[in-house]
Amino acid sequence: MRLQRNDNRWRMENLKKDLKEMLVRDLKLQDINPEEIGNDDPLFEQGLGLDSLDAVELVVLINKHYGLQIKDMEEGRVAFASVNALADFISEHRDTSTG
Amino acid sequence: MKQTVSQQIKKKLEWLGHCFFYTVLVLGGQRAAYCFLYPVIFTYVLCGRKIHRATAPYFRRRFPSHNRLALRLDVFKNVLSFGKVLVDRGWMGLNPKAELSGRFADSEKLRAVIREGRGVVVLLAHVGNWQTCLVRLKALNVEVHALMEFDQERVSKHFFELRGEKPFNIIDVHGFLGGMIEATAALQKGDMVLMMADRLHQGRSASVDFLGSRANLPIAAYHLAATAGSPVVVLFAAKTGRKNYSLAIWDIFYPGRSGREKREEFVHCAQRFSSALEKYVEQYPYQWYNFFDIWAQ
Repeated sequence: MRLQRNDNRWRMENLKKDLKEMLVRDLKLQDINPEEIGNDDPLFEQGLGLDSLDAVELVVLINKHYGLQIKDMEEGRVAFASVNALADFISEHRDTSTG
Repeated sequence: MKQTVSQQIKKKLEWLGHCFFYTVLVLGGQRAAYCFLYPVIFTYVLCGRKIHRATAPYFRRRFPSHNRLALRLDVFKNVLSFGKVLVDRGWMGLNPKAELSGRFADSEKLRAVIREGRGVVVLLAHVGNWQTCLVRLKALNVEVHALMEFDQERVSKHFFELRGEKPFNIIDVHGFLGGMIEATAALQKGDMVLMMADRLHQGRSASVDFLGSRANLPIAAYHLAATAGSPVVVLFAAKTGRKNYSLAIWDIFYPGRSGREKREEFVHCAQRFSSALEKYVEQYPYQWYNFFDIWAQ
């Protein structure tokens, strides 16, 4: 049980690291390193300063890398709140889609 | 916000004007409403200043050789044409049997693009009777989404909801992240997304040549299409007679496929849209309803 919890935590940490790298690499964020992004930093406006066009890329990237679709603004509002929120969204929906 | 007395009177007069035209439409039909348009618009153009200020940036560039009097006549023709489009919309909304007949010459081209299955971004402009023509898109058997402002939604709602047929789903541009999440999801499903591309409200833009001067046009549509891998179709409608219209594709292109650097690519796309719009206003100079100085932005 404890082993499984540790494994889950390790997976989530890896997922967050991957997401931060993806944000910096694919959205071509300048002057920022993946490690500098806080897990709870807002992704849009204040925080990382992404805008609506970055949201378009992010929707496509999530679909491409994780096979998940963010369908509407309500889902987007929750998933794009921070790296933590995005990781939770991916992990939850990936688990659902794999049964 | 509290309104001044003159604003309240203006609002009341506008409301009375609407009631008057709807009564005429119900009792006399489209032709009767057109007849009333002439004196109303003549007075409006003769006495009003706002409409001249709003249309001058366009007409000074479209007809640079026109003198003051000719420009006044241009404004009259322009507002009259706009009035007729509004009458048509009301007439079709109030009368279930009312129909405009038109041709969509390039419908097969659009069907072919839809069949590619990567979604389609359809670019529109504030020209011609675009809202009434959108009914034709129903026949394409694809789900249509329109990225619109709330005000525009109210206008179109008026027409489509009175008729009980809404040919598209509205995505509010003032929603979270400008409605871009829904628009992307729609393209990923292979749906059609309609966007107005001739007026910049917010966000990134490109400076392009339009009627001999530089104008800033939005580039969100090209970014959206390039990211989703979708083609862009420039579609304009024109009123060609009392009950006739024509719907045509003015350009089709694929943003992001040219190998250019992104920024340069989007400027190129905006220029292609602007060139298509320029060709349109050469053919239909009085069907320009973008009463806004797009060159001053």
